[in-house]
Amino acid sequence: MEMVAASRCPDCGWVVAPPVRICPRHPVEMTPVEIAGYGSVLSYTTLTAVPEGFKPPLHIAVVELPGGARIFCHGKETRQLKIGRRVVIEQVDGIFYFAHLGLADRVTMFWKRRGAAPQRTTGAVKSAVKRFLSVYKNPPSGTAPPAENGTRSNEEEQNHRPAEKS
Amino acid sequence: MRDVWIAAAAMTRFGRRSETLEDLMADAALEALREAGREPTALVVTAMDPEEFVGEGNFASHMGTYLGLSHVPAIRVETATSSGAAALYAGFALIASGFHNHVLVVGGEKMTHVSTPRVSEIISRVIDPHERSYGATMPALAAIVARAALAKGLITELDMAQVAVKNHANGARNPYAHFQQPVTLEEVMSSRMIADPLRLQHCCPISDGAAAVLLTSDPTGTKLAGMGQGSDYLAVRYRDSLTGFRATQDAAKAAFQMAGFGPERVQVAEIHDAFAPFEILSLEDIGLFPPGKAAKAAQNGELTLEGRLPVNPSGGLKARGHALAATGVAQVVELVWQLTGRALGRQVKASVGLAHSIGGLATNNWVTLVEQVA
Ligand SMILES: [Zn+2]
Repeated sequence: MEMVAASRCPDCGWVVAPPVRICPRHPVEMTPVEIAGYGSVLSYTTLTAVPEGFKPPLHIAVVELPGGARIFCHGKETRQLKIGRRVVIEQVDGIFYFAHLGLADRVTMFWKRRGAAPQRTTGAVKSAVKRFLSVYKNPPSGTAPPAENGTRSNEEEQNHRPAEKS
Repeated sequence: MRDVWIAAAAMTRFGRRSETLEDLMADAALEALREAGREPTALVVTAMDPEEFVGEGNFASHMGTYLGLSHVPAIRVETATSSGAAALYAGFALIASGFHNHVLVVGGEKMTHVSTPRVSEIISRVIDPHERSYGATMPALAAIVARAALAKGLITELDMAQVAVKNHANGARNPYAHFQQPVTLEEVMSSRMIADPLRLQHCCPISDGAAAVLLTSDPTGTKLAGMGQGSDYLAVRYRDSLTGFRATQDAAKAAFQMAGFGPERVQVAEIHDAFAPFEILSLEDIGLFPPGKAAKAAQNGELTLEGRLPVNPSGGLKARGHALAATGVAQVVELVWQLTGRALGRQVKASVGLAHSIGGLATNNWVTLVEQVA
């Protein structure tokens, strides 16, 4: 399982990702921690009008990781996505990606980031290798792996959490 | 704390303007000074990003000199897209504290001469760096909010479209509006997708324009009855709720507390509808409607010019337009005109008005209450 760098407040215990120096809730220096790279989708969008350096359509999701930290990440598509859906996170060259993707999806997805073609290809290969290692060598401990593409597992149903605190 | 009154209110037409930023701000400022018949003892200016949009810095002194007011103290205030409201707050504080008796507040922005991708890039700098590095723009973050609100059943796609239709209908009656043409429900719901579920017609335009208000300690009948500021994390992902804005909730509480009355006295409101769903969600954040009730009120026609609580009679950011730092001031100009019977063609009956301004993606928000007491 991919680990995500984060930071934790020694006073209030809040965990945020990516790591920041000072707790956004208190003027207190935070300590580095790592959290497991899976979670549930809080919200998402697909941009057709994208900023410079990106190609449309650009899929963005906000994912809540175990312990409550949220990150922004990219994905192959948002059509199958639902608020509350559990996804895995992987990190390639410091960028977070959500979902569970095949090699073909991966190549298309990396093509959307800025950078020269050779770098994109390397990104896609790195991602494929990482996925292979994480799925076949390090299944997440203590939790069932998230459901495969499009199929909602019972586990997912049971662990469905509200999109946000009210 | 001294009472603060409005002696004059003026604005330019919003839209694609050929004048310079300085001339737009001068047009609004000089008209306010003429109406008030007096000179200010201090100047508060605001433009969100004159450094990038028009290449001017040291902006308080720049405008002080351009307006012939270099002999009075001048400051520039900036809180992203709510800068106009923040400038009013600074002017309010200067008078309430007794530091000054007459303060000219002028806000303006000039953007349409810059390419749209460049304008979007400059505006995007108000967003948290991690979120921005994923391509998050203001419409993207607003879409993330809208998606969550749709999922919670707080709004529907029809509700979002109706905000745009209503505000364009109002803008069509406002000679100062950027868009003075109505739009149909079909036009909104079939307009180009920008950030799913937000379409082009759910989003406010890029506008040029300026607005000015002369605040004074001398009673004029039009009272700045209360002002409140609220803030939130720069990062949207840090927030407990995606569908309610703490910055608006806190601003509203502070404004009503200062005014000494509650939301029930508000009879007209100018709401920051930069993105259509924000109008509905903000009405609940402010307390003008109980949670989950604003969309229903909109469906019942309660927010139209003839309704129980007319919202955005000016056309709002959607149709009057959004000239960034001018907007917060222009909202109060509209309220003054409404409360004093000068909102020709779109006049509502009201003696208490509320303006609501959102800075960034609701990181620095303001609620302002204006009351006609004579
Ligand atoms: Zn803390």
